[in-house]
Amino acid sequence: MGSSANKPQLIVDGKRVSGRGFSDLRNLKITAGVLKKANGSAMIEWGKNRILAAVYGPREVFPKHMTDPRKALINARYVMAPFSSMEEHGRSGPNRRSIEISKVAKHVFENNVLVHMFPKTMININMDVLQSDGGTRVAAVTAASVALVDAGIPVRDLVQGVSIGKIEGTQVSDLDKDEDNYGESDMPAIVSLRTGEVLLYQMDGKLTRVEVDTALSMIFEGAKIVREKQVEALRAKYESNLSEARE
Amino acid sequence: MKATCQKQGNNGDEKMILNNVKEAYITDLIRKGKRADSRAPMEYRPIEVETNVFENCEGSAIAHLGDTKVLAGVKIDVAEPFSDRPNEGVFMVNSEFTPSAHPQFEAGPPNERSIELARVVDRGIRAANSIDLNALALPDGRVLGVFVDLYVLDHSGNLIDAAALAAMAALNNTRIPKYEPSSDEKKRGKLFRTESAGQLDIKSNVIACSFEKIEGTTIADATDEEEVASNGRLTIAIADGEYMVASQKSGAAGFKRQEIMNLFDAAVSKYAELAAHAKKR
Amino acid sequence: MEKRIVFPGEQVAERPLRLEGCFAEDGKTYAAVVSVAQEDRVIPLKGRYLPNYGDYVVGIIKDERFSGYSVELNSPYEGQLSNRDTREEFHTGDIVLVKIMAVDEVNNAIVVEPRRLSEGEILEVESVKVPRIIGRNGSMLAILRQHTGTEIIVGKNGRIYLKGGNTTLATLAVLKICREAHTNGLTDRITSFLQQESKS
Repeated sequence: MGSSANKPQLIVDGKRVSGRGFSDLRNLKITAGVLKKANGSAMIEWGKNRILAAVYGPREVFPKHMTDPRKALINARYVMAPFSSMEEHGRSGPNRRSIEISKVAKHVFENNVLVHMFPKTMININMDVLQSDGGTRVAAVTAASVALVDAGIPVRDLVQGVSIGKIEGTQVSDLDKDEDNYGESDMPAIVSLRTGEVLLYQMDGKLTRVEVDTALSMIFEGAKIVREKQVEALRAKYESNLSEARE
Repeated sequence: MKATCQKQGNNGDEKMILNNVKEAYITDLIRKGKRADSRAPMEYRPIEVETNVFENCEGSAIAHLGDTKVLAGVKIDVAEPFSDRPNEGVFMVNSEFTPSAHPQFEAGPPNERSIELARVVDRGIRAANSIDLNALALPDGRVLGVFVDLYVLDHSGNLIDAAALAAMAALNNTRIPKYEPSSDEKKRGKLFRTESAGQLDIKSNVIACSFEKIEGTTIADATDEEEVASNGRLTIAIADGEYMVASQKSGAAGFKRQEIMNLFDAAVSKYAELAAHAKKR
Repeated sequence: MEKRIVFPGEQVAERPLRLEGCFAEDGKTYAAVVSVAQEDRVIPLKGRYLPNYGDYVVGIIKDERFSGYSVELNSPYEGQLSNRDTREEFHTGDIVLVKIMAVDEVNNAIVVEPRRLSEGEILEVESVKVPRIIGRNGSMLAILRQHTGTEIIVGKNGRIYLKGGNTTLATLAVLKICREAHTNGLTDRITSFLQQESKS
């Protein structure tokens, strides 16, 4: 949440600066299977966000002593590339923020993947933020869900989400970078629409009870749109399996 | 750390068998609506907060939740402001899971759980504007930094709530040392730590309530053994008795929309009790 | 009913069924991987091979131990071949056809009846396509053998051993089957492909 210093106007003439309505999402496109070597992969283009998700596994656990005889171990790694932001050159590798995001992303997939089918193995989920534009964590996990499905790893649902914020007193969906920096609140979430469960939930800002309730409702509404894009990506890759072949 | 976060996937070389045994008895109790220490599901253990436990740092407090003990130490230093916020003081929270606090805590760089704890506590206090950062600007263009270090001394569960309580209590009892700018503007002035320039002004009290989900039942203020059996946690930080200022879901379990709203209400109803312990002495 | 593509989380049956690539929850069955569904039949389009009792698989000797061998199975899990079950001596890198004799609760496989596969070629495909390469009652495999004169051994784990005859044509045909695995009239199309190609 930003300070008032240098704060740009975020709502002009009842609209967001980008021209979007309050519950509109930015342009969103997902491409499944963009990498050859990874077992599964996906690229997400969401606003200016460009995030690559790659999945390896199930495979042998390394280091070996981490092996769980009951289920597959999920390793999630979210990192921002040093060149990914509008600001100065970042430091490469994980920082405190990205370690925390990696942790909550890992919890999503511990729930989502049928981990008990693959005891003693490890599934690595890499999320590389190549260009950041606000909402990277929900975009990264949304892409990772597609990458897992592309890898043929059994999951309970496609999971996805959106971040709900509050700018100049108004609750809006899918914050961009400025809205995130200068807004009054941010609630990123990942959900399973099938079960109605929230699998990643973070919140930062100041919201009343009514606002929390509204934000949750906006999350599920946004997720429906995001899920369609995930299905579209997978359909594009797998539908050719169904169509009549060309000689 | 490993024992308590097994369910949250951070399995290490923990004694899996021992955990399974403990998990079984806890789960069994919860299924019958009971807890090992005979508390009600939403009941906290006895809360106690000691403030001003040290002299050298500008603020300090130890929060006890039952056997859990978390220490917060506050240091005030002269700092350079962030370039994008030249008139604001700096606020930072770090945490350390000392190897003394649990047989499975190991010395070393902060792990994901201690980072998460510090960041959740930080977010709540920051989002509530508990500290007026503009009031921390110094006449020579420098600012004061408020550095909170959370030391887990005894881990018997629910570290986040205890840490938030300790941090808030310590901040409510923090003195600001007197600052004398240097005659040479390029040089940093001097802090006179024994001379007080007043107390740190706290605008809003923030408390954290964490709820663990075990076999579909949700409980407040879990012990470390209950955490082993837990499938997931939702932490909600409340400011001024009515606002959500931070939240974090941890662990594999999912929470439905209505569950989140119910836990929001539960956290609000706990506010008065917890905040009373965090307030100024 | 039309063939349709289903995505994870989509319901495929109103009652709990044990189907490959699916899971049952709350009395219903849902897809867990991208699959083709037609009424109660669900065929995964992607998935990793897991050892299954009775499967014949093509493995690679990974490790020689005092008590036997560990065999790589194109799967997250390995097979163990005991010295008691073979008189033959193998070396790391040897390719063997083995039968899966037992699988424990953590997917460890005991493999038996090793047969060394030498001098041929190994083709690796997705294991979910294997049923199409074999065809109903082995019909597709028979067509492949007939037109290519190649000895073809299809491991359930997606490894295919080809030896002798027109192996190039056999390879092309197998890859074509994989690409078009879920289309209608596949057998006819493959037959005419083989006829055409073997003429030229």
